[in-house]
Amino acid sequence: MNLSLTNAGSYPRIGDTPELQILRQTLARFDRQEVTEADIRRAEDEMVRRAIAEQIEAGLDLVTDGQIRWYDPISHIAGKLRGTKINGLLRYFDTNFYFRQPILVDRLVRERPILIEEYRYACSISSRPVKPVLTGPYTLAVFSLVERMEYRDLERRVEDYATILAEEIADLAAAGAELIQVDEPAIVLDGANFDLFAAGICALARAKGTARLALYISFGDVSSFYERLQDLPVDVLGLDFTSSPQLIDRIAVEGSAKALGLGLIDGRNTKLEPEAEVAAALERLLPAIRSEVAYLNPSTGLEFLPRDRAFRKLQHLVRIGLRFKR
Amino acid sequence: MSREKLRALGLDLPLLPTTSVGSFPKPDELQQARTRWARGLISRDEVERLERRATEFWIRTQEELGIDVLVDGEQYRGDMVTYFAENMRGFEIGGFVRSYGNRYYRKPIIVSKVKWERPITVSWWRFAQSLTAKPVKGMLTGPYTVMDWCFNEYYPDRRATCLALAREIRKEVEALIEAGARIIQIDEPALSVRPQELPLAREALQMVTDGLPAYFISHACYGAFEKIYPEMLALPVDNFDLEMSNSNLDLLEHFKRSPFTKDLSFGVVDVHSHVIEDVETVVARIRQGLEVVPAEALWIDPDCGLKTRTVEEAIAKLRVIVEAVGRVRATLA
Ligand SMILES: [Zn+2]
Repeated sequence: MNLSLTNAGSYPRIGDTPELQILRQTLARFDRQEVTEADIRRAEDEMVRRAIAEQIEAGLDLVTDGQIRWYDPISHIAGKLRGTKINGLLRYFDTNFYFRQPILVDRLVRERPILIEEYRYACSISSRPVKPVLTGPYTLAVFSLVERMEYRDLERRVEDYATILAEEIADLAAAGAELIQVDEPAIVLDGANFDLFAAGICALARAKGTARLALYISFGDVSSFYERLQDLPVDVLGLDFTSSPQLIDRIAVEGSAKALGLGLIDGRNTKLEPEAEVAAALERLLPAIRSEVAYLNPSTGLEFLPRDRAFRKLQHLVRIGLRFKR
Repeated sequence: MSREKLRALGLDLPLLPTTSVGSFPKPDELQQARTRWARGLISRDEVERLERRATEFWIRTQEELGIDVLVDGEQYRGDMVTYFAENMRGFEIGGFVRSYGNRYYRKPIIVSKVKWERPITVSWWRFAQSLTAKPVKGMLTGPYTVMDWCFNEYYPDRRATCLALAREIRKEVEALIEAGARIIQIDEPALSVRPQELPLAREALQMVTDGLPAYFISHACYGAFEKIYPEMLALPVDNFDLEMSNSNLDLLEHFKRSPFTKDLSFGVVDVHSHVIEDVETVVARIRQGLEVVPAEALWIDPDCGLKTRTVEEAIAKLRVIVEAVGRVRATLA
């Protein structure tokens, strides 16, 4: 089996030195009406370039654009749709990060592609394959506030977001994305809604064409519905073992029919986990995965860490991962 | 009950005492000085001189407005967690981490045993109290919130981190009491993040306050408090200072179902809005508060620290509070 070393999504958009603070400065200057949107794009491009360069320097096989342009995981997508209004701040799970809640005021409509330009730019400057990342329909639906009557029904929200995201997936696949990551952390908040959540994922899977779909779930324990995740029509299952530690034993014993994204490196704490512990988990997990490929990645995106620490985490991941590469 | 405790501490407060949550905006000259200091252009002494001047300004302003229980305005703090991390042993101040949008903060990293070495806020409290005859609150950030807002590379888990912090933070409380503080506020805005950890937060606060002669307030804001109510009433404090107005006073409904058994510092103005509430609106909010909490137990203040507002907006919001309280008091007498 081939072990691919990758990132699970975001990468810090700021660092300690002045050249790593251009995006922050440009956005602040935009608020004071001193620069244009084109200046923001340029600053974002520059920080995407740096995020990709650092991931490659650390030794990853598969990179992301670091989600540098994302205000947050929810409003970056919801805010670009017709029918939404962006509201106040809410804490993102149990992190120290806050996102803006969309309000659904009218029927959701995708007026134009959301992520394709970002994806194309990242590909154009990366020497390694790029994995586009998007937030899934269930998570967007759960974190949306509702003004439009028909959307009081969570199922309707999931359905409409899924229709829109399926179009995104089809576009990304057509643009050449081989692996597309969908983040659905909100299912950890209420496993009882699994059927609703699954319906959204199925809608996306129908649109993937020749691309492979990776479903990533972080920020909570998935062991109570893990079996049902294995039945979903996705190609890769991304698991946050820092939140679901007991799954390691279970998978080592039961095996996994699906390719797995192994979130064994904590993306939320600066501490580097003991190499021997991670290696021991990999030794048990890898033989149990009945698939051509597995991924080793941090448990979450890396934006929760300062930049120097995020880079060190990736180096750590690569150091351990290389021992298991064919 | 708490009125007796206040009297025993020598504090005779009017009905509906007015107060503030803690922070006030920094005047422009202090903001600019902090930036210049960060770039190495001026000395720390020069910044401190301006911090003192700003503290004096805010004490005088609160007195002139007629506020009953004063705060020092936290002119010397950058951030509520980083400030304490910088002044205790065991922390390293990490690089920038995003808190939302284009806002970043330096998130501390616990790298060794945390240790309180010397008083952190005491000289500021002493200075502020020396400027007024009104009581000034002692202010610090609680162990649960410090734990939740730091990376941890040293302790085995969240519980060990939280309790270690509690043991050390207690020493700051003792030092404040020894200096003469009788009202001490322990901010715990992270309280509602993980409802299952409320017992840990309670245990930690118990370690901080147990047996100490002061009236304790705990401030919390912008969380899902309905998830930890009424269980949060078990925390060992006399007064909860809660953000109410930003969330349309939604919490009052919960207090109707299950009585609020502590004193309540009731946030009656939104600190995230430029709009200055009118007196009638604030009077109406206070009356709604009085429907669920008796007058003897109700304090009135803004939702949260006013540092997010301009100096003018902060003063205008405080003025509205004092005027509204005056009107309600007249009807209670
Ligand atoms: Zn607050």
